[in-house]
Amino acid sequence: MDFRDGMHKVYSFIAQIGNLGLHVLWYFLHFIVSLWYFALGIVCALESYLISIGILKRYEGFDINKLRYLAVVVESEEAYQIPKIIELLQWLVALGVKRVCLYDTEGILKKSKDSILVKLNNATVFEEADQSNPLLDHKHISVEFASFSDGKEAVAKAANLLFRKYLKLGDSDKIQEEKIFTEARMTEALTAVGCRGPEPDLLLVYGPARCHLGFPAWRIRYTEIIHMGSLNSIKYGSLIKAIYRFTMVQQNYGKCSLPFDSDCSRLLSIISGN
Amino acid sequence: MVKTLTMVFSLRFSSLSLPPHSTITLYTVPHVPNHRLRSTSNLSPPSSTLLIKHSLCPCAAPKQQQHLLVPEEEEEEELKCINEAPSLENDSLPPGIRRECMPRHVAVIMDGNRRWARLRDLPVGSGYEAGVKSLKTLIELCCKWGIRVLTVFAFSTDNWFRPNVEVEFLMSLFEGGVKDEMGSSLRENIRISVIGDISKLPKSLEELIINVEESTKNNSQFQLIVAVSYSGRYDLVQACQRIAMKVKDGIIELNDVNESLIEQELETNCTDFPYPDLLIRTSGELRISNFMLWQLAYTELFFTQSLWPDFGEADFLEALQSFQQRWRRYGE
Repeated sequence: MDFRDGMHKVYSFIAQIGNLGLHVLWYFLHFIVSLWYFALGIVCALESYLISIGILKRYEGFDINKLRYLAVVVESEEAYQIPKIIELLQWLVALGVKRVCLYDTEGILKKSKDSILVKLNNATVFEEADQSNPLLDHKHISVEFASFSDGKEAVAKAANLLFRKYLKLGDSDKIQEEKIFTEARMTEALTAVGCRGPEPDLLLVYGPARCHLGFPAWRIRYTEIIHMGSLNSIKYGSLIKAIYRFTMVQQNYGKCSLPFDSDCSRLLSIISGN
Repeated sequence: MVKTLTMVFSLRFSSLSLPPHSTITLYTVPHVPNHRLRSTSNLSPPSSTLLIKHSLCPCAAPKQQQHLLVPEEEEEEELKCINEAPSLENDSLPPGIRRECMPRHVAVIMDGNRRWARLRDLPVGSGYEAGVKSLKTLIELCCKWGIRVLTVFAFSTDNWFRPNVEVEFLMSLFEGGVKDEMGSSLRENIRISVIGDISKLPKSLEELIINVEESTKNNSQFQLIVAVSYSGRYDLVQACQRIAMKVKDGIIELNDVNESLIEQELETNCTDFPYPDLLIRTSGELRISNFMLWQLAYTELFFTQSLWPDFGEADFLEALQSFQQRWRRYGE
């Protein structure tokens, strides 16, 4: 019995030491990984700082004119931080961005439109004519404000316009029926219900979610989407980096300008059994 | 190596904070179809019954919290959906992946096949064939890990403008792939659905698609949705066309048409979970390229540098971890 009790105590002691060791290892690994992410955060912040003061020359000299229309999506809770929004817009003006759409799901930015515009010099509300206005000077910016009602609800309203046209045709004209439900007609109908904004080239998402939160779906077919993190931690350098990256992108829009290989023709004939 | 180690360690530490560019305060969660929320809200916030059970919405304004209240019977139905998911042993999941946080619907834009081939001095067709193998791997992983729906963007309406030879090759590849997979789909209880304008496809392929959809329509373990000759705008326009015919036939009133009705007529309503929880796009491009425009409003977007033929288990794991880190934070 004494031997058995002794062994039991030894095992128990070893188990406790083992548990303690595992706990220590766990916390050590946790510390290492936390340190890694802390270092990563420092590097990101440092890079952003170096970009903003112009030391990283790679990010200078990009062609801002490639960015014809920028969209900024802000998570609704963060949209209440109007000073941050104004700061962001001021940076965009400094970079030479001429047209921007501000979006949040609940329309908080729409409601704060006046207070935002009054703080910016040379800012006006977006009008369709602005798109082609060459007189917009370097420091002028036109701002569109959008919310959920400009997205799915607007598509439903535009669809209703098309339905009324369709019902007016009656049963007589099948060819005309087919011409009503086309993408071009839907675009016209959206313009008619007041959703005139163009397709953004770039969409920046500020908030915890890496999604576009219901930005008007019709307009983002080929839009580059970049998640920028929380509005609380906006950095000028990060903004420059995102826009620079956009200007370097080449889009094929699903088509291809490269010739298909002749080897593939041979492969095709093999697959089809010829 | 460092990336893999970091990934493995991060699985264990749910309280870990990530750099700002991958902030993880959670917002996006699996969807509840909008028609279920019709009685409570006109908005379509991200929500799920699991969310309601945890009754936390740190990022939502109070108005949105009201939108999360759904009747108890719908909550039970949601739970039933989850409970009816293929039963999994947690052992079959990789470490750190939680079954209860798994996305129900994953969508993939399979980009980078041609680049992959060019980098290896191979013909472009080889890239597409390698891409088919990646797809098969992904389907197996989804079945194994309990994901209910996988939607893949195989051919866009814009792709019709590619050289005829390439288009024909892709159609042949697709036809061959469907024929090869039909048998295994029936055996493994996989349902195959195809969305897009199939009237533009070759007749033989069109008939094959109708046949395979009919043959597998009762399978319930897993659903593979292949988007061929599809675009988000096409989907919206065809939904409007279908509603217009119903209005003309007197089935619905014009005044009843709203965004919920449009959603019900989208082609993605061939599944119980029409809204992807997670979208993965390979090859480093940061756009959705006219794919499921309406459905992706609250979908977690995951863009990876890997080219599609190289996309394997490790990359998929990384995408799921990114998704689950947001889910975990939301529920805590």
